[in-house]
Amino acid sequence: MEIATVFNFTHDAVIFAVGMTAILASLGVILCSSPIYCALYLIGHMICLALLFLLYNAEFLAVVQIIVYAGAVMILFLFIIALLGGKKEVQENTFHRAMAFAFVFILLGELYLSATVGTTQPIRGEIPAELFGTAKAIGLELFSKHVVAFELASGLLLVAAVGVICLAKFSFAPLRRRVR
Amino acid sequence: MFASSWLILLFPLLGFIGLSWYGNRISRKLVGFVGCGTVGASFFMTLVTLSNLLFLQPEERVGQVQTLYQWISAGSFKLNLAILVDPLSVFMFLIVTGVGFVIHVYSVGYMHDDPEYSRFFAYLNLFIFSMLVLVAAADFFFLIVGWALVGLASYLLIGFWREKASAVLAARKAFVMNVIGDVGMVIAALVIFETFGTLSFVDVFASAPDQFRPNDDAMLLITMLLLVGAFAKSAQLPLHTWLPDAMEGPTPVSALIHAATMVTAGVYLIARCHVLYELAPYTMYFIAGVGIITAIFAGSMAMVQYDIKRVIAYSTMSQLGYMFLAMGIGVYSLGMFHLMTHAFFKALLFMAAGSVIHSLDGEQDLRKMGGLQKVMPLTHATFLIGALALAGFPLTSGYFSKEAIILSSYHAEMGNIVFWAIAVLTAGMTAFYIFRVYLFTFFGKLRSPEAHPHESPMIMVAPLLVLAALALLGGVLGPWVDSFLAPVFGHVAHPHDNALETIALIAGIGGIATAGLLYMVSKQRLDLFKEALAPLYDLLLHKYYVDEIYDYLIVRPTKAIGAFLEQKAEREGVDFTVDQVGLQIKEVSHVISLWQSGKVRSYALNMIVGVVTILMFVVFM
Amino acid sequence: MGQEFVLLVSASIFCVGAAGFMIRKNPLIMFMSVELMLNSVNFLLIAYSSFLNSLDGQIFALFIMTVAAAEVVVGLAIILTIFRTRHDMDVDHIDTLKG
Repeated sequence: MEIATVFNFTHDAVIFAVGMTAILASLGVILCSSPIYCALYLIGHMICLALLFLLYNAEFLAVVQIIVYAGAVMILFLFIIALLGGKKEVQENTFHRAMAFAFVFILLGELYLSATVGTTQPIRGEIPAELFGTAKAIGLELFSKHVVAFELASGLLLVAAVGVICLAKFSFAPLRRRVR
Repeated sequence: MFASSWLILLFPLLGFIGLSWYGNRISRKLVGFVGCGTVGASFFMTLVTLSNLLFLQPEERVGQVQTLYQWISAGSFKLNLAILVDPLSVFMFLIVTGVGFVIHVYSVGYMHDDPEYSRFFAYLNLFIFSMLVLVAAADFFFLIVGWALVGLASYLLIGFWREKASAVLAARKAFVMNVIGDVGMVIAALVIFETFGTLSFVDVFASAPDQFRPNDDAMLLITMLLLVGAFAKSAQLPLHTWLPDAMEGPTPVSALIHAATMVTAGVYLIARCHVLYELAPYTMYFIAGVGIITAIFAGSMAMVQYDIKRVIAYSTMSQLGYMFLAMGIGVYSLGMFHLMTHAFFKALLFMAAGSVIHSLDGEQDLRKMGGLQKVMPLTHATFLIGALALAGFPLTSGYFSKEAIILSSYHAEMGNIVFWAIAVLTAGMTAFYIFRVYLFTFFGKLRSPEAHPHESPMIMVAPLLVLAALALLGGVLGPWVDSFLAPVFGHVAHPHDNALETIALIAGIGGIATAGLLYMVSKQRLDLFKEALAPLYDLLLHKYYVDEIYDYLIVRPTKAIGAFLEQKAEREGVDFTVDQVGLQIKEVSHVISLWQSGKVRSYALNMIVGVVTILMFVVFM
Repeated sequence: MGQEFVLLVSASIFCVGAAGFMIRKNPLIMFMSVELMLNSVNFLLIAYSSFLNSLDGQIFALFIMTVAAAEVVVGLAIILTIFRTRHDMDVDHIDTLKG
């Protein structure tokens, strides 16, 4: 068995394993009744995805995924859970739940069917293989082609920050509760 | 030349608007001043226009169209807000604003104690404006606008005492009858537009003689449809029943609208459209026939009525019949002359009667009057002048105008002996019934002991004197009217026939004498006389049962059909359908609203269902 | 591994996220489900960026992350506010828009 074949096999096996782990972790997110476990499963899922990004030549985004998602966002989630109390949620079997599962399975089936259309051909020679997915390449792309979108995104973040400060700072009087 | 003519129309309109808005906030004195002042100003502007017109050569006096504003311009259809200044319209302006002004002044006294003084004057001004629109219109469209507006003003004024049920009913009746005429007018205008492609008087009358031979079907159709409007407005048979009931309104209204101006609109219409009518001689005969039949029909009814205003109302119908007769036999300027003298003496009679009613605190029944000759000398004198003029006593204005028509009904080209005979008979009846009223009112003893009659105030008597002078002396204007209107109608021949004139004169004086004779015979003999003629008397007293016939033939079937349709079509058809549509939509939307649960998760489920459905198409198609 | 594998993994994670959004009542976990769906799409974009040898997919994913981060922050703040006013963490009880 040639070394390249072995490498390919190993590569594929790793991808397969990590992908399956990501799916299982996501199932854990939605099936655990305690929010804190859900959050931990989600962190695991994020890390798996970061690995997958790395395996698909996106080293910069893998790092961003770890830092932003598994780091910042999930810490925020955990804080909120700590603040609000991680009550366990009772799962009951309702019509709504059955319908949800049924339609999600149909959706999954349709997506699988549509996934088997065929492969697409790569665009050759645009970016050198050694640069692909590095911070330098992303930076060049981002600041040359997508500079307006980048600025808009920064504006969006600013607005979000201001909005959150407003929501958190000003204490609202209890809203009028709807009389039942 | 006539650039300021539109001011004639403007003043009464301003008066109407001003009195409507501010009438309750200004003093009664000022209301009266504004009400009369606007019409007076209008009269003054009419005199200015008249003098302008008289400076022109007679042949230049026709068809001065004064365009004020282009209202509609749609393709070939153009509608200008324009007034037509020609001898005929100026003649009508003179009558409307002149007599109108006098009656306005009279109203200041007559309506003095009415709580809704300003509303009355606002309506009167509206009426004057509408009537001026009617006679100033330069096309059929604005003629109909004015036509409908005078109907409205008449409705408002008949029903002015709105707390009186009979007045409201009479107003409604008048309005419905007038609307029948309006419909005829509108259809006529549509046919005219279809036929000539324009509604302008000048264009239509210019092209009609070249386009059509006499008695062409189109001409007959147009003239007959116009006639529906004219008959309804001028209370000619079969559409006459509203006029006697219209006497429920205040007396100045009866004088202004239902004697002097509005009811003559039908005569004006025929005079205005005489070019068309001359192309339809059959219609002319029809007009003359209906006119003369209305004259004798109304005259006979007037002989037995006991309500002073109703008698004069029937006499108005009868005199309008004379005018229609004049129109029908083609002596237009005589008809217009009679219109003018009639406006004088009939307004005078109404206002004198109003003066009597006023002094008897609203009593209108002849049987309760009497002996007012000494108490109200001026009213008595003026009423006598009016009665003489109406009866056609020699040298009064009515003599000149009515005798001329009666004579022409035989001597004119289209006249014949039957018209003449009926006209003479009617003249006798006219003299009889008006002197019956006169004697009942002013002679003998007062038959209602609790009343305290008194002479009316000066502001009411002065207009009476003015009109009395006109009614007495207006006859001298005859030749002037003829020559003034000649640019429109051409000159008419004035036949002289001493024999016929004498017979007519004898008929008139005979009527007066009969009235006096019957008045002098004792009550018992009179009752015997009534017994002998009982069927005829009943027939006349019940106005030939026309109201009852209409009730059976038209009103009741219509009501029955209406009730049937209301139950079957309205309740069980339209209402049911509409209700059910509403109810079913409500039910369905209630079911649908359950879907809108307000829960985020079910919205998400709906979204997924949507995605699944769309993907289904993508994947399998 | 081929492109089918990427598509299948991505679709699976997406469906799991969608199911989680619909079956859970805790708003925090519903948010997590939304994150799952966003991440599945990110994965797809990045994988295809590699297949197609074009960086556009990665840029796209980067922007999605940015927006998602902003959305999570604002969303959590809203949840916090709702909890402070209602003392209730069940989304089914928040149905003022019921028709």
